[in-house]
Amino acid sequence: MRTRATLSGIFASVAILVVGWQAGSAAITAVHSSSGTTGANSASSARGTTPAPTPAAPAAPVSPATPVTPASPVAPAAPGAPGGSFTGTSVSTQYGSVQVQVVVANGKITDVKALHLTDDGGRSVQISNSAAPILRSEVLSSQSARVSTVGGATYTSDAYLTSLQSALDQAGL
Amino acid sequence: MAQHVFEAMGTVVSLTLPKRMALPERVALLERMNAADAVASVARCFAEFDERYSLYRPDSELSLLARGELSLTGSSDELRSTYAASLRWRDETGGAFTPHRPDGVIDLNGTVKALAMQAAADELLRSGFSHWCLNAGGDVLCTGYQPDGGAWRVGVVDPADRSALLFTLCLDGTRHAVATSGSAERGDHIWSATAIDRTYLQVTVVADDIETADVLATAIVAGGPTTLATIVEGRPVDVLTVARDGAMTATPGLNRALATV
Repeated sequence: MRTRATLSGIFASVAILVVGWQAGSAAITAVHSSSGTTGANSASSARGTTPAPTPAAPAAPVSPATPVTPASPVAPAAPGAPGGSFTGTSVSTQYGSVQVQVVVANGKITDVKALHLTDDGGRSVQISNSAAPILRSEVLSSQSARVSTVGGATYTSDAYLTSLQSALDQAGL
Repeated sequence: MAQHVFEAMGTVVSLTLPKRMALPERVALLERMNAADAVASVARCFAEFDERYSLYRPDSELSLLARGELSLTGSSDELRSTYAASLRWRDETGGAFTPHRPDGVIDLNGTVKALAMQAAADELLRSGFSHWCLNAGGDVLCTGYQPDGGAWRVGVVDPADRSALLFTLCLDGTRHAVATSGSAERGDHIWSATAIDRTYLQVTVVADDIETADVLATAIVAGGPTTLATIVEGRPVDVLTVARDGAMTATPGLNRALATV
C-alpha cells in the first residue's frame, strides 16, 4: 500500500515535470521564433543593414599566441554609437585566415568571436580554446527544442526519481 | 525510441535505442530481442566494473587493496592499467584530478564509470548498433543519429534549478561525449591533490570520448579557472562552466555546439 502510494506520487511528479517542461518549451519556442536569427546569421544581417561598420577587432592580425577572446569589455565608443554585430575582414596570417566578429551593445564591445579560422590546407582550426564569458540568455535560447537525454552532475539512484532524465525515460520518447 | 533503464554503480543508466516504426511483426520481435540482448550486455559491463572497483563492496579487488589484503603488484592487469591511466590524468591535470583519497586509499571512481560506459559502447558497436545514446547518472555518450536523422540533443540541468535545463548541446557526430561535474547532486565528493578551488558550481565538458570528458570536468571543478585555462588550451574539448555566482564561461567550440531550436 505504501509502495503504491509512493509510486503514484512519483508518476504524478513525473507527469507534472513532463507537462511543465513541454509548456516551458512552447513558451520558449514562441519567444525564440520572434527574435529572429542568432549566432553567425546575425553577423551577416548586421553587415547588410548597418552602414559602413568599422571592423574593430582584426586591426591587428591575430596570431596563435594571442587569444582573440576578450578578457573584459573594451572602453565605450562615442555616445549614440550603434549596437549590433560587426564582422571584420578576413585577415591572412601564416597560419591561415582569421575573421573576427565584434558584438557591440550600448557602445561597448561585449563579445569578440573568432568566426573563421583555417589552416594552410583550408581546414577549420581553433587557434585558441580559452573559455570566454557567455551570457545566460545566450545559452538559454538553445533549450527550446526537445532533448534526447539529460546531462548533469552525477545523480544518485534516489535523485534520479526527481530528475528530468527520469521524466524522459518514463515518457519513452 | 525505446528507453532501457537499469541501476548500476549507485546511479541509474539509461540507454536509448531508436525503434523503427511499422515493422513486420517478426522483424519487430527480432529487434526487441536484439535490443534486450544489447541492454543485458551493457548492464553486464557496468556490473563487471562495479565488482572489481567498487569501494562499497568489501569483496571487490580495490577493497582488498585498500585494506592491504592484496598488494598492487599482486593485483590484476586490468586494475593496474586503470590505476596507471588515472595517474596519467593526475599528471595531465596538475594534480587537480587524482586517484588518491586524502586517507591514502586508491579510489578509481573518477574513471570507472566512464570506462564502463566505453566498454558498453564497444559492446553495442560490436553487436551492430550504430545509433544509440547512453546516459549513466548524467554523463552522456552517443553515437549516430536519432531516428529522424537529427543529432542527439543533450540537455544539461541548471545547477540553480534542477528541474530546469540550462542549455542544450547537439552531438552531431564530431563529438560523442558530454560529462558534467559539480557539487550540486552528490555533495562535495571531489577531492584533489591541489587546493580545492571553489569558483565553479558546475562544469560541463564535451569531448570525443567519455573518459576525457568525465575526468576533465572533475578536474576543472576541483582546480578552478587555472586548471580550466591549462586544460582546454590545444585540446579538442569544449567546456562550459557555471560559477557559484551564476556567471558562465564557454569555449568557442561550445558556442557552436549549442543547439539552436
